[in-house]
Amino acid sequence: MYKQQVIRRIFLCFLPGLLYPFSLLAQHAVEVAAKADTSSIRLGEQIKLQLTATISAAQFKDANFKVVFPVLPDSLDHFEVISRTGLDTASNAGQKVLHQTFTLTSFDSGHWEIPPMRFEVFAGASTAHDSALTLPIGIDVNTVAVDTTKAFKPIKAVQSVPWNIWDYWLYIVIGVVVILLAIGLWWYFRKRPKKEPVIKTPTVTPYELAMHELQSLKEEKLWQQGDIKQYYTRLTDILRTYFEHQFGIAALEQTSEELLRNIKPVTKLNQQRDKLRSLLAIADLAKFAKMQPTADEHEGCMRQAEEILEWTKPKIEPVNETVNEKPSV
Amino acid sequence: MENTSSDIRQLNEKIHQASAFVDLLSMELGKVIVGQRYMVERLLIGLLAQGHVLLEGVPGLAKTLSIKSLSSAINAKFSRIQFTPDLLPADVIGTMIYNQQKNEFVVRRGPIFANFILADEINRAPAKVQSALLEAMQERQITIGDTTFKLDEPFLVLATQNPIEQEGTYTLPEAQVDRFMLKVVIGYPTKEEEKLIIRQNLNPEAMTPIRPIIQPGDIMEARKLVREVYMDEKIEKYILDIVFATRNPEEYKLAKLKPLIAYGGSPRASINLAWAAKAYAFMKRRGYVIPEDVRNICFDVMRHRVGLTYEAEAENVTSENILSEILNAVEVP
Repeated sequence: MYKQQVIRRIFLCFLPGLLYPFSLLAQHAVEVAAKADTSSIRLGEQIKLQLTATISAAQFKDANFKVVFPVLPDSLDHFEVISRTGLDTASNAGQKVLHQTFTLTSFDSGHWEIPPMRFEVFAGASTAHDSALTLPIGIDVNTVAVDTTKAFKPIKAVQSVPWNIWDYWLYIVIGVVVILLAIGLWWYFRKRPKKEPVIKTPTVTPYELAMHELQSLKEEKLWQQGDIKQYYTRLTDILRTYFEHQFGIAALEQTSEELLRNIKPVTKLNQQRDKLRSLLAIADLAKFAKMQPTADEHEGCMRQAEEILEWTKPKIEPVNETVNEKPSV
Repeated sequence: MENTSSDIRQLNEKIHQASAFVDLLSMELGKVIVGQRYMVERLLIGLLAQGHVLLEGVPGLAKTLSIKSLSSAINAKFSRIQFTPDLLPADVIGTMIYNQQKNEFVVRRGPIFANFILADEINRAPAKVQSALLEAMQERQITIGDTTFKLDEPFLVLATQNPIEQEGTYTLPEAQVDRFMLKVVIGYPTKEEEKLIIRQNLNPEAMTPIRPIIQPGDIMEARKLVREVYMDEKIEKYILDIVFATRNPEEYKLAKLKPLIAYGGSPRASINLAWAAKAYAFMKRRGYVIPEDVRNICFDVMRHRVGLTYEAEAENVTSENILSEILNAVEVP
């Protein structure tokens, strides 16, 4: 009898320790639930599945308290998970409600169950935790009823939407603005006072320019200083530039032979052909063969150049020229 | 050492005398070749400037006759190689043959061992044969087995291409074409010339055989003089302007050519243009180069060195069109 009493006292001493883990869930009293927005869908229709965990506010403040929501794979048996929201928290009469919504669908007809969802509840400093399960949810997935007594109909063609002006209001507004802008610009430029064309009197004619350049060349006394090559280069360049501006012959890009060939159509210039040939021949020798012509030849070439210019200068000098008509020289 | 005025005058006189053979040579060749003066002149430029000539023209334009006659007039050895798809490099340069009597390998020299080579229809042979020839052209020597043989000088290769039949041909790559100093395009003779050709062929007995006018040694002497021909700095600049205009046309107010040119002339183009201009001046019996010389040979030196884009080909623009534009835009010194 005494022995039984001793055993009962020992048992009573250890009983709180044995019951402690089971008391955790009762102390924290977490309510979990799974709720579907419908219990019957047609193939491919969507179901909103909401998982909820309700916790008292006092427990929620406990830093070690934690509820872990179930992690759903992309597909469950007979169901596909289309999307999932984040975890949301709401307060309700001294309680905290955590919820997460999943969008599911199914393409298998029949009666299927969404399995129970497992929530993990952690409390206290220890790693001990408990699980809470929701109830399974039955869903009827129905096919579309086909009336086989009636004939099959073909697939409908693309249906056109009736025209509505308000569908195009933005384009119409843009179009009107562009037209108004164009009219405004046209009006502005039409009414704007026109600028008087600038009349530019050519400062110097090709002939005058060439004569001036020859004069400068003389004054520079290049051949007297021994720079014969430069003297003939300048002399022929002056003549070639003059031919280019006065007669439109691209003389600067032509060799001596080509130039002599191409002056043929210009009668006045062609009359000076022999003088030009002899001048170019001496110049070529001085420029490309280091020949040293005599002083008489230097002066003779200068004289010939002047004679060519005099002979070919235009009789009537143009008085005025607009900028756009002819390049001034 | 810089040339002085009197040096050039002396050189001019020397070249005036030394180049007299050019006229004699032309006259001698004129005995058998009717027309084609242009082609003969280009062959002489190649010969004097140590370059090789690529000839493009339809068959029957006296290409073989020209080079054969030139060879006879110079008393040089001539050899012709007909390029075919089954030709091997050994068929061109030679090979080692086993001599059973002597129990040793002996060298059998190929047809390339001559002064004048006619590489007929070069684009019919595969790349390895082409490159064997082109290497020999560049190096002027051949290696068979362990032995290297210097090729005889003067050494001139006249390669031909048929512009019509392109099927089954191996087009020469740009890098290989660049090795030819000149690419000459020849056309049909005139009516008058062709009449003479008919008469000449109907009466071959009346045709005078070609006499040797000069010896290969004279050509070597002439080459030395060609090297001495004076080229002024202005001419050098003109050559560079032309070549650079093919590379950067926009710098010469020719931006419209930019989309038509795939690649411009290489430095070899500048070198060859200078050499050919000197040779041309020599042939004109001058001791100095003038811009006319450069312009005269410019098309033949440059036409195969200007690459065209697909856009140019679609618009039927040729390298000659591009070169004409360039020559009309680059200022002559």
